[in-house]
Amino acid sequence: MFIDFFYLLRQVGIPVSPTSFLRFQKALGMGLITSLDDFYTAARSVLVKSERYFDLYDQVFAHHFEGAELKDPEEFELTEVAAAMLQEWLKDPKGFADALGIDPESLSKLSPDALLQYFLDRLKEQKGEHHGGSKWIGTGGTSPVGHSGYHPGGMRVGGVSRNKSAVKVAMDRRYRDYSQEGPLSQAQIGEALKKLRNMIPVGPKDQVNIDETIYQTMKNAGEIEIVFDRSLKDRLKVILAIDNGGWSMDPYVGVVQTLFNHSRAQFKELKTFFFHNTIYDNLWEDPPRFKKPVKVDELTRLDPETRFVIVGDASMAPYELMATDGSIHIEERSMKPSYERLRSIAETFPHSVWLNPKLADEWPYTRTIGMIREIFPMFELTIDGLDSAVSHLMGRN
Amino acid sequence: MQAQCSPTEKFTGGSKYVLDEELAQIVNISMALEMPLLLKGEPGTGKTMLAHAIAEALNMRLIVLNVKSSMKLVDALYQYDTLTRLNDSRFGDSQRDVSNIEDYIKMGKIGQSFVSHERVVLLIDEIDKADTDFQDDMLDVLDQMEFDIIEIDKTIRAKNRPVIVITSNAKKDLSDPFLGRCNFHHIAFPEPDMMRKILQVHFPDISEDLMEHTVKAFYRMREFRGTEKKPATRELINWIRALKSDPDFRVKDLIKGNIPYLGVLFKKSPDYALARNSVSRMRL
Repeated sequence: MFIDFFYLLRQVGIPVSPTSFLRFQKALGMGLITSLDDFYTAARSVLVKSERYFDLYDQVFAHHFEGAELKDPEEFELTEVAAAMLQEWLKDPKGFADALGIDPESLSKLSPDALLQYFLDRLKEQKGEHHGGSKWIGTGGTSPVGHSGYHPGGMRVGGVSRNKSAVKVAMDRRYRDYSQEGPLSQAQIGEALKKLRNMIPVGPKDQVNIDETIYQTMKNAGEIEIVFDRSLKDRLKVILAIDNGGWSMDPYVGVVQTLFNHSRAQFKELKTFFFHNTIYDNLWEDPPRFKKPVKVDELTRLDPETRFVIVGDASMAPYELMATDGSIHIEERSMKPSYERLRSIAETFPHSVWLNPKLADEWPYTRTIGMIREIFPMFELTIDGLDSAVSHLMGRN
Repeated sequence: MQAQCSPTEKFTGGSKYVLDEELAQIVNISMALEMPLLLKGEPGTGKTMLAHAIAEALNMRLIVLNVKSSMKLVDALYQYDTLTRLNDSRFGDSQRDVSNIEDYIKMGKIGQSFVSHERVVLLIDEIDKADTDFQDDMLDVLDQMEFDIIEIDKTIRAKNRPVIVITSNAKKDLSDPFLGRCNFHHIAFPEPDMMRKILQVHFPDISEDLMEHTVKAFYRMREFRGTEKKPATRELINWIRALKSDPDFRVKDLIKGNIPYLGVLFKKSPDYALARNSVSRMRL
C-alpha cells in the first residue's frame, strides 16, 4: 500500500529505508491510522528522520494526496500564488507595486495578513485575465529598496492551525525554515570543523612505516612486507583572507574567527590575512589592518597549490570593486581596480573559494556579489555550504 | 501496584504540559510500534518535559539517563562495584555474599528500566553528547531488549519494554543506523498562540495584559539578529516569574520599551549587550 508514495519520497531524495516503510505498513495494519491527518504525522515520524527533509515531505505529501482530499484546488492555488506574491513584495515592495500598478504607500500600511488577503482578493477578481498568474509574479526585482522591519527570508507565511486538513498543513510548508541551515553559529563550529577535516593530504605513499612494516613482516612469517604511509609534507597550505572591516561584517566576525582559530592546527601552513570589503594592493596580517601589510603581488610567489579561502559578504558599493581608485582607504590607491586584483588571485590559486555569510537567496540583491561570483566560486558560510566548498577545494579543477 | 499498561493506552497530555495533537499522535504511534521516539528541536521546546508528561499521564515511573560525553555504554547498563566487594572481603561486615559477584552488580539507568516490574518511561536525554559508537551500541541494546553482564555471564532481558524517549539538541543528524531504529519528530518553536496556552498552564492567574505584552516583547526579542542563543520557553517563564515578583514593575513599562531583567532572557554576555542595545530601539 502506498508504494507510489514511498518511491516518490525516495525519488525526491528523502532517504526512506525499506525497513521503515515496512514498519509503517505495520502501523497501518494495526489500525492506528484512521484519517489522512494520522497518516501525515505517522508516516512522517516513521519514515522521515531529519527535519531537513520535512519541507520536502510536505511537498510530496501535498502533491501525492492533493487529488484525494483537496476540495477546492483553485482556492489553494490562489493562496499559494498570493503567498508567493507577498514574498515577492517583501523583497522589493516598490518594484513590485509598480509592476502591479498599486500604490506602495497604502500597501505598506497593511499588516502581512491583511496584505495576503488583499492579494488574494485581487487575484480572485482578476482571475479571468491573469489565469495561472505565477508568470507575472516571478519577475524578480533588482531594486535594493528595503522595507522597514521585514526581512525577506525571515517571513513565514501562514501559521499552524489545527483545524486545517493535513494537506493544507502540508501546503503551508511550515518546515521551510529548517530545510536550509542558517549561517554558521558558534554552536555549529564543531560540525563545521569536521567538514574541514575532509581537507586531507593526498600526497604519494612514499614513506616507510617501520613499526607497521616489522609487524606485517612478522605476520607474514618473515617474508618482508614493506608498508608505506602517505608523506606528511603534502598537507595542505591554506590562505584565509577575512573581511573584518565595516559594520556589514560585524555580526559574522566572531563566528569566522572561531572557525579559523580552531582550524589552525589542521593544515601544514595557515596564513590569515585581513581586508576590508574587497582586496586592493595589500592584505594585512594584523586584524586592525595597520601594521603588517602584505603586497598582493607577492602572493604570486607562493605555492599555487595553496588553497585560497576568502570569507566576506562581498557587499559593497560597485565602484569599490570596479573603479581604478576604488578603495575607501586613501593610502592604497593604485591603478588596478579590485576586480582585477581578485581575478589575478583566482588565476594564481586555481583552488580558491569565497565563503559568504549571507545566505544564497539574498545574493541576487547585491550587485557586487554577482560580480565576485564571476571570479570566485561562492558558497554560503553554512554547514552545507562549507561542505560543498571543501569538496570544491579538494577537487581537481 | 499499578496494573500493566496495555500497549494501546493513549497519551493525551500532562497537567503541566501543553500538547499539540500532532505530537500526541506521534507518541502514540511510537508506543504502539514499540519504537524509541527521537525528539529534536531547539532548546526550550519541551523535549525533556514531554517524557515527564508521558510518565505522569500514563502513571508510569520515569527513569532518566542523562548522557555525558565521557559515558560508556556499560555505565548505562550496569556497574560492577569492585571497590565495595574488596571492602567487604577485607572487613566482611556486610550482608552481601562476597563470593557472589551478582551482589555487587548495580544496574545503570537502562538496566533499571529493564528489570523494573512495571512498564516505565525511559528518557535518554541529550544523546548527541555521546559519540556515535555509544549511540549505535545503545540502540542495539534497546532493539534486542537484552544485554549481557560479562562478569557473571548472565543475560538481562527486559521484563516490560519501556517507553523510550530520546532527545537531541544537535544540528547535525545522528547516524543512519541509529535513525533507522527510531521514530523521529522535530518540535518546532511554539507559535505565539501555543505560547499563550503554555503560559496559561504555568501561570493560571496571569493577567491578560501582562501575558499579551510579555509574549509580544518576547517574540520581538527572539528576532534580534546576531544573538547566539535565542531566549526559549524556559527563559520566558523565568522572566515572567521575575516580573511578577517585582513590586515596582508595571505592564506599561514594557509598552514604553523599558524591559527589565534582560539577563534572565539573554545569558551570554555578547547577546546581552546586543539585546540591551536593540531593546532601547524597540517599541511595542
